[in-house]
Amino acid sequence: MASEKRQRANLLLGTLDMLILRTLLYGRAHGHQIGKHIQRSTDDFLQMQHGSLYPALHRLERKGWIVSRWETAPDRNRDFKYYRLTEKGRKQLVVEESQWKQMTEAVARVMWPAAEES
Amino acid sequence: MRWWQIRKRDADLERELCSDLDLEEEEQRENGLPPEAARYAARQALGNTTLIREHAHEAWGWATFERVSQDIHIALRQLLRSPGFAAVAVVTLALGIGATTAIFTLVYDVMLRPLPFTEADRLVTVEEKVAEWSNIYPTLPVSANHFTFWQRHSRSFDSMALLQQFPVPLGSSDHPQQVEVMWATPGIFSVLRVQPSLGRAYTASEGQKGYEHVAVLMYDLWRQHFNADAGVLGKTIRLNGAPYTIVGVMPRSFHVPSLQWSSTIGENDRSRSVEVIAPLAFSKERLAEQMGDLNYFGIGRLNQGVSITAATSDLDALQHTIGESLPANQKATLSAALTPLQDTLVGNNRKPLVILLAAAACLLLVGCVNVTNLLLARSVGRKQQMAVAAALGASRAEMVRMAIREVVVLAVAGGGLGILLASGVVPAMQRYLPPALDFRGPLHVDWVGAGCALILAVIASLLAGAAPAFLISRTAPFEVLHSESRLAGESRGSRRARRALVGIEVAVSVALVLMTGLLTASLVRLMSVDRGFTTERTITATVELPGKSYQDDQHRATFYKTVLERVDRLPGVEQAALASGVPLEADDWGDMARVQGDTRPDTQLPIENVRWVSPDYFSAIQLGLVAGRIFTPDEWGQNLALISEKTAKTLWPGRSPIGRQFSLGNPANEKPFTVVGIVRDARTVSLAKPDPMLIYVPYWYRTEGTAGLIVRTRQEPSEMANAIRETIWSVDGSVPVPEVRALAGVITDSVANQRFEMYLLLLFAVSALFLAGLGVYGVVTYSVVQRNREIGLRMALGADRATVYWLVLWDGLLPVAFGAVGGIGLAYASMHLVKSLLFEVSPYDPSLTAGAICVLLMVGTLACLLPARRAASVDPMQTLRAE
Repeated sequence: MASEKRQRANLLLGTLDMLILRTLLYGRAHGHQIGKHIQRSTDDFLQMQHGSLYPALHRLERKGWIVSRWETAPDRNRDFKYYRLTEKGRKQLVVEESQWKQMTEAVARVMWPAAEES
Repeated sequence: MRWWQIRKRDADLERELCSDLDLEEEEQRENGLPPEAARYAARQALGNTTLIREHAHEAWGWATFERVSQDIHIALRQLLRSPGFAAVAVVTLALGIGATTAIFTLVYDVMLRPLPFTEADRLVTVEEKVAEWSNIYPTLPVSANHFTFWQRHSRSFDSMALLQQFPVPLGSSDHPQQVEVMWATPGIFSVLRVQPSLGRAYTASEGQKGYEHVAVLMYDLWRQHFNADAGVLGKTIRLNGAPYTIVGVMPRSFHVPSLQWSSTIGENDRSRSVEVIAPLAFSKERLAEQMGDLNYFGIGRLNQGVSITAATSDLDALQHTIGESLPANQKATLSAALTPLQDTLVGNNRKPLVILLAAAACLLLVGCVNVTNLLLARSVGRKQQMAVAAALGASRAEMVRMAIREVVVLAVAGGGLGILLASGVVPAMQRYLPPALDFRGPLHVDWVGAGCALILAVIASLLAGAAPAFLISRTAPFEVLHSESRLAGESRGSRRARRALVGIEVAVSVALVLMTGLLTASLVRLMSVDRGFTTERTITATVELPGKSYQDDQHRATFYKTVLERVDRLPGVEQAALASGVPLEADDWGDMARVQGDTRPDTQLPIENVRWVSPDYFSAIQLGLVAGRIFTPDEWGQNLALISEKTAKTLWPGRSPIGRQFSLGNPANEKPFTVVGIVRDARTVSLAKPDPMLIYVPYWYRTEGTAGLIVRTRQEPSEMANAIRETIWSVDGSVPVPEVRALAGVITDSVANQRFEMYLLLLFAVSALFLAGLGVYGVVTYSVVQRNREIGLRMALGADRATVYWLVLWDGLLPVAFGAVGGIGLAYASMHLVKSLLFEVSPYDPSLTAGAICVLLMVGTLACLLPARRAASVDPMQTLRAE
């Protein structure tokens, strides 16, 4: 039923993973912060629902790239689930980054061949 | 992900999403939205929580499990909605799986389970072959003389041993206990790679004549008879009247099969398990006998890496050397035959077991086909539902999953029930194990059986689910949804599939019915074959004389004579006789009769079965005299003989043998026998074949320590057992009398295995018939319902009830007829398997074949009649109005 949808989601999720990892490079963050950060840095270009972030976070945690803990927020008296990048996750980010770079370059070469020649 | 963590995880996620929602709401409020709108915006920003949860589950690797459990739930709900269908399907599958598992357990135990010895695949049994006698005895047991020569010169064997097994009295008190003794040369311990757990094995020097009075106890005897007393070592027991010193006790885990000469395995009575192991020692004279004394069971352990073929050619070479050195009057061409021990133990039980297994599998197949049929009918009813699912975008894989989940639940339930069924049935099958293999303790369904049931359940669900799944996966939603649903009939493909399935069911059933018919007819003929002797009012008992006090023919004959005289005097006794064995359990010895003047070497003389009897033997079992007379007690001591017709024709072709003489053994020092009479050829050795050449000698010439007492009574013989025992004990209290049985019972017992096989097959065939009938009924009923309108129209147009009956019968019986023909073909093609099991019945017997087809047609007709009546009672007016 959902095979087509799932494929689309996978493509998106692939990039989402990289974005999450990159965001966590600055330090610990909870889900809402990560979502807001991605949204703001892209000037709201990537309109995504926060919800889709959580399955991705759980998946990354299962892969061992990030870890999570319930901690009290510094600015308010409340517990949030904070995520942190692991050493494994740091390495993964490097891999994903270079892959992404290669892909965008490849796509660019196909899309704007003239620009490349000049 | 563990299932017990899933709740915790879910709560965790819930909390996380909640806090996100709160933060978002806060933010929106700070942006100036009113509280209600802020909450709404926050929810929108977060997205569908159910979907998030589902995705998260997938991220945890939890989704597959969830989907499966959901499938099971749905399937169970669907099945519970039609309990009748579910019950029929589960019971059908359980029967098939249970029967197959039970038979497989038996087959596995008999043919596949490794023997409980170290490197059991290196164990072989050894037999001798004598080319000159090969037409009567394809193989023979081993002679001590040859064995000694092999032991000295063979390079293929790690170790070898000769064995004999027979019971002897234990102790010297009155009414002693019988113990089963395995008499074995000392090599047996290294052949089987086993040592006593207490004490020691006996040594090679203790295997020499004169030093052989040592014994090793089996664990069970040690525990029961000696209370597991470790001080038993060094004590003396009396076996067969002679003292034996106990030197060891075997480990508890050690069991040994009853090893006898292969030709007697499986035909003899159930043998008892071995209780004592004692040395088999040979006298000087025995060892010097170059061509006699072929009496012992040979067993050996091959050297590492030596194949049976290599070992056989090694022994053949040695046999050739022995053959060369034989004296001229004993010239023989010798060779050897080696068989893996397991094959020897299985003996001729292989084929019946394979047939039973095939029959059980057939039953399972019929069951599967039936379930498929039911499922197909159901799936037609659910066409709408499936079409809607397909229209809503269900993928083909999902449709198949929807179709097959019910089958899987059915098969699992059927498999579970089948295992229960099998474990209930299997212990009862213990007594049908070949006696040689019934030594490993109680038979039960173990992991192998359970694994078999599991695999069968998987196969069954694939078999039964494939067709419905295929049809459903091809559902074209557009057509289904557009056609008027209630009236939409079964698709042509589905109808054809259902017909074909009924055909298969019928074919398998016909084959089973035919096989059962053949075996039944064969057993009936076997039981009613002209045996040449009678069993009415006759009882038998086996007498075992302790060897020590009855060492020679003289003592034995005197004992037997006294017993006969006293039994004769018992009230109600008509005749009492003794012989070397009870009919069908005969214990004859083979010997070569030399007619006076015949100078051929021994090995070229015909071999006869020689049986010692008391004069009343012939009248006790009414074995007819053809010519001459029977020797009488007055002729005590004279060498007289009776011969069977076959012997007469062979030894004195065309001449009357009465009054002529022959000798057994060496004519130089044995008095010749004079033939006084000719006895009818009968079937006293085996019901299945006529007796070989027989010579009856009087018991005053020669007797053995084991005798069969045959008593013909005037009244019903049931109360005679005790009187006979008491009479024997009144002569000598130390003689055990293990069993007193009616002769008719002995006959029945001799075909116990065949009867068991026949009953099982009958059970399978009847079940298959029932299922096939159910299948036909299902298909026809369904098609009658589908064709309700058509039938109504026909009747409105003037068709009468008879026409409608014919219409339905034709519809139902066509696949039956095709199936029957196919089944007969199937059965004929596999007849080579059954042929050797049949007795005087041709596997292509036309009347049995016709009978099998008739039975199926009858069942088919019966199954059609009910739906036909329903069709004929269709009210044409109602149908037309409904139009």
